This record gives sequence, structure tokens and C-alpha cells, in this order.
Amino acid sequence: MKKALLALALILVGLAVLLPLASSNPDALDALTANLGLQQQISMWQGIMPGYSIPLVGNNYTSTLISGIGGVLMVVVAGLVVGKVLVVKRP
Amino acid sequence: MHIKDGFIDPSIALITFAAAIILLVISWKKAKATYTQSFAAILAISSAFVFAAQMINFPLALGTSGHLVGGTFLAMLLGPFAAMISMSIVVVMQAFFFGDGGISTLGANIFNMAITCGLGFLLLKLLTRNVRGIGQFASRVFAASWISVMVGSLAAALEVGFSSVSASVGGVWAVVPTLLGFYAIAGLIEGAVSAALLTSLMRFSPAIMVGFNLIKVKLGVKE
Repeated sequence: MKKALLALALILVGLAVLLPLASSNPDALDALTANLGLQQQISMWQGIMPGYSIPLVGNNYTSTLISGIGGVLMVVVAGLVVGKVLVVKRP
Repeated sequence: MHIKDGFIDPSIALITFAAAIILLVISWKKAKATYTQSFAAILAISSAFVFAAQMINFPLALGTSGHLVGGTFLAMLLGPFAAMISMSIVVVMQAFFFGDGGISTLGANIFNMAITCGLGFLLLKLLTRNVRGIGQFASRVFAASWISVMVGSLAAALEVGFSSVSASVGGVWAVVPTLLGFYAIAGLIEGAVSAALLTSLMRFSPAIMVGFNLIKVKLGVKE
């Protein structure tokens, strides 16, 4: 448990440090569809934190970091739940 | 590698949804048979790592960017079947909470990224038969990661290329080479990062690497 918490802390610190260095260029697939002249389609769902941002937070870095931390924690919870359900303890 | 809504035809979306569900059902059954003790913590942390890693885009060519996929990394850590489940958790979270990848394309995105886990594992199993030493293992991880990213992106390119949205620009003949060109570069970074991470984990904590232990590579790593 101690190691897992340490790993989680390292992931969050890594995210905080590396986010400012992340490229803001469009993803290859998005750029490709734009370059080929494919029209941007209307998304069915933008998400609660669209594009990894919190709409109410003005600062880009803070907004992305908060949504990233939220995402990491949500994935951890989902992973714990799935992991618990997946493994049946055998006698 | 996340396909947005509207970029693949409904028929392709349905086929890939079916393929993703079949893949996940098989993975669930196989993983359930593989693990006899709790591995919830390692599943949760490795999924969180891949989620965070996929948030950090790095520059590619011609003003584009890419991110790690993490399929081979997950496969070595969790084994191929749990890795596909882990990757699916990440892709579902990205789509529903962050709008990263569409809802109608969720099956395609799960399929494209989950196969990088299974393929990464299979390739490493094949490539590491006569490997001795961590250096050789790292080179095989690099190759397996690069190839699995290329195959995942090829799947994405074929899905978009065969859809009517790209018919006016040349369809699959325009989409596949362009996208594979970008991901050939992204795959190099994926390979280097996966090799660095996995060899570090092998040195410090080989016991937690279920996938690595499944392929039973004798590298002289102390347990």
C-alpha cells in the first residue's frame, strides 16, 4: 500500500512538472483530418472537463492540472473497483 | 490516436464496438483465471500512469503532436489480458469525462489501443526467446512497442480511411500513409520510454511485473 501511494504521488508530481512542457500542437489524427480537409464533426459529448480543462478556472495550467489530477484519481478508483471484482479469492 | 465522433461510419463503429466487447469479454475471463490474489493496487496505479502519460503530448512532425499509448508497458506489468482491461478503463474515462475520443467511436478507440497491449505482449514473447541481459531485453521492448503502436494506428487509419468522411480526399490511400508516417515517429518515443521504464522496474521491482514473469525471460534479474 505504501509503495502504491508513493507511485501515485510520483505520477501526480510528474504530471505537474511535465504539463507545461506538453505540446499544444494538434494530435496527429486531428491534424490529419484537418489537413485532408475533412470537416470537423460535431461531438456527441464534450465531457465534464472538455479537453482536460475546468471551464471555471481561467489559468490554463491550473485548469489542466486540476482536471488531470481528477482524472488520475478517477482512474485509480475505477482500477481498484475493477481489480477487486476481477479477482475472486480462492481457498 | 483517439478518433472523435463522426469520423467513422456507423457500420464501422458497430463492428469495432462488437470487436471491443469480444476482446474485453475474453480478456475478463482470461484475467479472472490468471490472478488468484489481489492485484487491484497495481492495476489502479498502472492505469493511472497511462492516463497521465497520455495527457502529455510531445511534438511530432509538421506541427502535430502525439502521446504515449502505453500498451506494451501495461502488458509487461499486468499481463496481456489485464492490460487490455486497464487500457479500456483509461479510454472510457477519457471519452466520458474529458471528451477525448468520441462516444460513437468508443468501441474503435478501445479496440485500437487495447490491441497494442495484446500485440506488445505477443511480440515480446516471440522476440525474447533467446535474450540474455537487460540491454537485449530493452531493444526487444523498443521493437515491440514501436510495432504495436504502428498496428494500433493502422487500425485507426483503416477505420477512418474506409469511412465515407474521407472518401472525397482519397480515402484509405490518403489516410493510412499520412497517419502511419506520424505514428512511426511517435512509436520511436513510445519504444524508448517503454524500454527505459520497464528495464528500471525490472531492476528495482521485478516481482510486480506479471507480464514479464509470464514470458519467463531469464535475464539474471534478482527477484
